[in-house]
Amino acid sequence: MSRKNVHLKVDEFKGNIGLIKNLEISIGKIIEEKWEEPMGPTPFPSLTTLRDWDFKLLQRFKPFYLPFCDVCCLCTFGKCDLTGNKRGACGLNMSAQQSRIVLLACCIGAATHIGHARHLVEHLIEEFGRRHPVDVGGVNVEVEAPVTRLVCGIKPETLGDLEAALDYCENQLTHLLSITHTGQEGSNLDFESKVFHAGMIDQVGMEIADLAQISAYGFPKANPEAPLVELGFGAIDIQKPVILCIGHNVPPAIGIVDYLTENGLQGEVEVCGLCCTAHDITRYNPKAKIVGPISWQLRFVRSGVPDVVIVDEQCIRTDILIEAQKVKAPFIATSEKNCQGLEDRTHDSPDKIVEDLVTGKVPGVLILDPEKAGEVAVRVAIEVMPRRGKFKVIPNVENVIEEAKRCRQCDKCRRACPNDLPIPEAMKAAVEGNLEKLNELYDACIGCARCEHACPENIPVHNFIVKAAEKKMKAETFKVRAGRGPIQDVEIRNVGGPIVLGEIPGVVAFVGCANYPKGGKEIAEMVMEFAKRRFIVVTSGCAAMSAGMYKNEEGKTPYEIYSGDFDAGGILNVGSCVSNPHIAGAAIKIASIFAKRKLRANYEEIADYVLNRVGAVGVAWGAMSQKAASIASGFWRLGVPVIVGPHGIKYRRMLLGRADKQEDWYVYDARTGEKVYVGPTPEHLFYAAETKEEAMVMIAKLCMRPNDTTKGRAIKLTHYIDLHKRLYGIMPEDIHLFVRTIADVPVTMKDEIIKILEKKDWKETVIPDPTLLPRLIRKKKE
Amino acid sequence: MSMFEGIPVDVGVIYEGERIRRKDMYVELGGPNIKEKFELTRVKKPEEVEDGKVSIIGSDIKDMEEGKSYPLGILIEVAGPKLEPELEGVIERRIHEYCNFIEGFMHLNQRYDIWLRLSKKSFQKGLNSFQYIGKVLHTLFKSELPIIEKMQVTFITDPEKVKELYNEALQIYEARDARARGLKDEEVDKFYGCVLCQSFAPTHVCVITPQRYSNCGAISWFDGRAAASIDPKGPVFPIEKGELLDPVKGEFSGVNETAKKRTLGEITKVWLYTAFGYPHTSCGCFEGVAFYIPEVDGFGIIHRGYKDIAVNGLPFSTLADSTAGGRQVDGFHGISIEYMRSPKFLQADGGWKRVVWIPKEVKERVKDFIPTELVGKIATEEDAKTIDELKAFLKERNHPIVEQWKEEVVAVEEAVPAEAVEEMAPGPIITAPTLPITAGGFKIILKDAKIYAKKVIIRQIKTEKSKKR
Repeated sequence: MSRKNVHLKVDEFKGNIGLIKNLEISIGKIIEEKWEEPMGPTPFPSLTTLRDWDFKLLQRFKPFYLPFCDVCCLCTFGKCDLTGNKRGACGLNMSAQQSRIVLLACCIGAATHIGHARHLVEHLIEEFGRRHPVDVGGVNVEVEAPVTRLVCGIKPETLGDLEAALDYCENQLTHLLSITHTGQEGSNLDFESKVFHAGMIDQVGMEIADLAQISAYGFPKANPEAPLVELGFGAIDIQKPVILCIGHNVPPAIGIVDYLTENGLQGEVEVCGLCCTAHDITRYNPKAKIVGPISWQLRFVRSGVPDVVIVDEQCIRTDILIEAQKVKAPFIATSEKNCQGLEDRTHDSPDKIVEDLVTGKVPGVLILDPEKAGEVAVRVAIEVMPRRGKFKVIPNVENVIEEAKRCRQCDKCRRACPNDLPIPEAMKAAVEGNLEKLNELYDACIGCARCEHACPENIPVHNFIVKAAEKKMKAETFKVRAGRGPIQDVEIRNVGGPIVLGEIPGVVAFVGCANYPKGGKEIAEMVMEFAKRRFIVVTSGCAAMSAGMYKNEEGKTPYEIYSGDFDAGGILNVGSCVSNPHIAGAAIKIASIFAKRKLRANYEEIADYVLNRVGAVGVAWGAMSQKAASIASGFWRLGVPVIVGPHGIKYRRMLLGRADKQEDWYVYDARTGEKVYVGPTPEHLFYAAETKEEAMVMIAKLCMRPNDTTKGRAIKLTHYIDLHKRLYGIMPEDIHLFVRTIADVPVTMKDEIIKILEKKDWKETVIPDPTLLPRLIRKKKE
Repeated sequence: MSMFEGIPVDVGVIYEGERIRRKDMYVELGGPNIKEKFELTRVKKPEEVEDGKVSIIGSDIKDMEEGKSYPLGILIEVAGPKLEPELEGVIERRIHEYCNFIEGFMHLNQRYDIWLRLSKKSFQKGLNSFQYIGKVLHTLFKSELPIIEKMQVTFITDPEKVKELYNEALQIYEARDARARGLKDEEVDKFYGCVLCQSFAPTHVCVITPQRYSNCGAISWFDGRAAASIDPKGPVFPIEKGELLDPVKGEFSGVNETAKKRTLGEITKVWLYTAFGYPHTSCGCFEGVAFYIPEVDGFGIIHRGYKDIAVNGLPFSTLADSTAGGRQVDGFHGISIEYMRSPKFLQADGGWKRVVWIPKEVKERVKDFIPTELVGKIATEEDAKTIDELKAFLKERNHPIVEQWKEEVVAVEEAVPAEAVEEMAPGPIITAPTLPITAGGFKIILKDAKIYAKKVIIRQIKTEKSKKR
């Protein structure tokens, strides 16, 4: 229990203990403390509390800037040209400006999650009460909020307790955003340190959002056997009225499911979702369906399947109201953050709103009450379906061929396409009646429709692609395991040893958006490859959906082929974007539960542990948003490297280690206090890979940690070398950097590698008890 | 040049988890359809072994019919000056690991229970003879275990010959087991230590004796011996027993010295056969926890796989938390399942006579090692879910611990619960008695007082529970 701003006033009291008159007590905050662990060194860290740690990381993983834009136009001094060694009118140079923009992006991302969390917590407190317990896994999850405990030093037990952590996040966020104002921070490294800070508080915000919704809505609680739910365009029953929910904040979708249940309408109406709201509805009701990642928005709406489109917040196409209008589907906005210019009908009677929407009197409404929105959505869907007759804007084949004739082959579409798809060629073929080339574009199309806006002839290119691929699209029927939430404490105990010793070669998390270079299939292929290699594979968000969009020869999807356990060879979907801290939480819990490191407000030590011992890597193959940027930065500060796809270079900088600089790769041996060279493990903290193949080799490589035992290192090296040989056709050049003693060499490659070591003039080193923090060197007792 | 030049398929650690389903298999060797099958390692005199020789008695893979199951015996004979018959079992177990490195070749189980499959794909690539398998095994064994100087491999598929050797092998396994089980801590000079877990439990040294398996259950004294001689720089090392200081508690001067040295002075004394005083430290990967239950003066045991809460109301994770991290915690003891089968199991505390509660699954596994008269007296989760139920059960079944209760007057000190702090009403006035003002005989008069506090932290005060022995 915690309470803020408590005031007591006693006018007069006479009793055994004495007389009290006009007593006033004012208490800023009452905290009832049941947590026995003593407070650690850094509760509620401020902007600079963890600066030393950040600088240690940045010393090793130096920012490498990739200016996406050479000028700064944020104030009226500008535009300022920052190329070369120039400084702008305010004095800022290019590197500081780039990191400033990164900070701005991370503030936007963190604000989005924290705002989301605040809204959820307020809403759920109103519905379930402040004292509703935080319970995300019963006795199996005693460390219920590892990130919040680690960062804030508090142990939230009720929904009301979560507010204290949110207060902190909002406070920090305000400071962080203020730093991007003209004439503040001047050092790029200080900007970078603040980027890490933004990422860390973002992790707290996300964790709180998910804890609140799991606890209140009864989502799967750390359940490895969370139900398998249906995924894909083809999984949606078009014979029924269809409600499409888009976004991230689930209460309106819950309103729909509850209304259906209360009125005995389950099974009569199809409820489906896109993006994270889809994950969260299926966590509430496994009969709901997931259409796919955000890139399915246009193709699904234009196909005319949804009878009502209801949106909440984040990552929603901002023209989705226009798209809904094109297919005559009534539209409901439900978030204060996304009102779409619509009239606020929150206080109108549902009957009136339903009538206006069904008759088409208004194209859409704003309803800020999730229950009312749920009722309206269901009633409108049922009534409007026969009227609109699944009206669609996807043309027929004849239209495609006819309209394609207007194409001038000007190539503007291709230049506008983020993935450089050969649209003009496909158009040419279409004119000749061959839609196959258009069909081929479908898999790598991210559904942005920039091609349509670039076209001087206004050809609806995206519609053509969708038509050509219609058969394929309608056959999309897959399974994904509903988001399971946290990892159980017992699971951590089981795998803690093998992970820390290196025998489970790594934990790979596929997270983030769907801005893929070559389609989501690459995610499924990577996921399968690493599960087969007995890594622990974790997924979340849109990547979790893409991971499921694959079938083997028996028609089974990855989630059906592999178990949902946090164990070697498991594939686990933790849930939506805000579930990402369960992945960070697993790394934290390995340090705290398994290795008994103190957790409470002890960020630096735990991050040092994770960096040096826990072979975890994040992969955001289609990272698109500012949220993805802040999620990644939360992982960096914790010592978890992140790999992004080629579009990720637009985040403006990488954090790259220099394997050739031996001096960068020393740690203290906590047993002796000596400095020991440990090789570039992990080599990078933030890396953009151009191809799937490059990413896979890098994943295997970045799983290596100084603490690996010889057996563990041999296993990790085997995967690295094997993937390198298979995908690049040659042995890696840098094997000698990862061999500490001969016992590290994989048994089956001994002869070959020993020859390489000899050539490289390799020398044996020791395997230390690694740390970057001198204070952790153990004192010998006599 | 690759180590496996001439082998038609790939060889690597990455194939270890590979499973070959029936429809993908070319042939099956051993397995549930075949009664007689085995794998066996023997240490021989140097003149009896021809290094690198691979022999096949019976039909080779290429002579086998697709889709069928065949009997198989794998006999590995090794020689080397440092090799002892005690190491046979350790070497034998590597057959499993090394066979699985071969692409498209699956090996399950061990000894008389082996089950192998060859995939169609690998057969088509040319893996059609035991000669290849033998060569791979020879290369890996020689490269990984330098103490093997000479090694020859024989594959037997002739059913008559397999049968004959199978019976012989069974006797060898039995003799080996009897020797291992019969070996006492008193009969050896050296124990083995393992510091593999120090990376997460810096003050933990596992002491592995013939009668005390490593906490993780993965390393026997024999394994320790093999590991220490194969990789002298590795995490497993010999401990000279030194002087026996206490035969009941299991205190040895050599163990104490090693613990002190390896934990940088943190642990100075270790008693191997007790959970009290100076118990063996617990790492993080122990298979189970023996935990003292003061209310009944006995031990409960919980294992890692037990999902429910134990009889004292705590789940495995909490109990494990109470002892993990390389600490010596009175009454909480990380142990292996195998240790429960040892006569030295909690010897100083009364052994099985002191155990009162154990999950059914573990009880089944170690049943044969619990004194017969006690089996029915130790409760499982089916008999008792709470301490009260446990007390009743123990009384009813007359568990020997009940006698203890009469002898000792056990004053059970109840923790005084701190007064529950009610959530304060949002209104401004709160009655004064809830204010934490104590007044011993004085009158306090407060007039027009204003007290401001930025933060008030309320902590529950716990009284120390005494741990009895």
